[in-house]
Amino acid sequence: MANMKIKAKARGDVVGVKVLAKHDMLTYDQAKAKGKKANFITHITAKVGDKIVYDVSTSQFWSKNPQFKFKFKKDGFKDGDKISITWTDLSGKTVTEDKKIKGL
Amino acid sequence: MKRRKFLGLGLMAVAAMPATLSAISSIDFRATKPDAWKAKTVDDAIKALYGEIKAEESGVTVKAPKVASNGGAVPVTIKSDIAAKTVAVFQNMDPESAVAVFNVPEGGIVDYFLKIKLKATDENGGNGVITVIVEGRDGKFYKGTMALQVAKGGCEG
Repeated sequence: MANMKIKAKARGDVVGVKVLAKHDMLTYDQAKAKGKKANFITHITAKVGDKIVYDVSTSQFWSKNPQFKFKFKKDGFKDGDKISITWTDLSGKTVTEDKKIKGL
Repeated sequence: MKRRKFLGLGLMAVAAMPATLSAISSIDFRATKPDAWKAKTVDDAIKALYGEIKAEESGVTVKAPKVASNGGAVPVTIKSDIAAKTVAVFQNMDPESAVAVFNVPEGGIVDYFLKIKLKATDENGGNGVITVIVEGRDGKFYKGTMALQVAKGGCEG
């Protein structure tokens, strides 16, 4: 759980997901000022089983330790299913964490 | 335009083939549309991503604080009931315009929340605008905007 905090809960027909990803999200300007190399999350994908429920290409302008939320329809998913979230950053690092969806 | 429609129909036909809801594949817009991320203006970024488009100003809601005290983490909510293929988020405050491009799964819900970094608006004339373009599965484009002020910039580190 070191890299992400995930909450996923079904309410009615919809699953709501809240994520807090731990990442510096260092922009090119910030990196220059600090004498470091820019590095930020460039892509986030969330899946339940093999089905993609969230897929976004991201820029350096997401906040530090970015927080994001999204929703998807719960059709076809069952109790015990997990949401699996993967991010990739500019350095090529990939982190995946999963969490059981509550209330399915 | 005709070509786009044709391709769209082809994709839909392919997507409709499997009986069950199948996984769409992930799309890395940073790889497929590299210029969209380098563009310095919202118009250029839209052009690099979608080509010459005309977006209807309806059906897309963008919510953000009118005055953001901390540009380091400005909360933005994007909602639309349009059956969307992609959703793109831009702003005119940072050095480059693109913030995010969502690849929306078929039947997906467009209700996104994210926190973004924005430079203080007085550094660029005082007019901060977040622009969201929704590419519909009908082949049309829709647009929503939200004007805001950012008191303290979030890009200086």
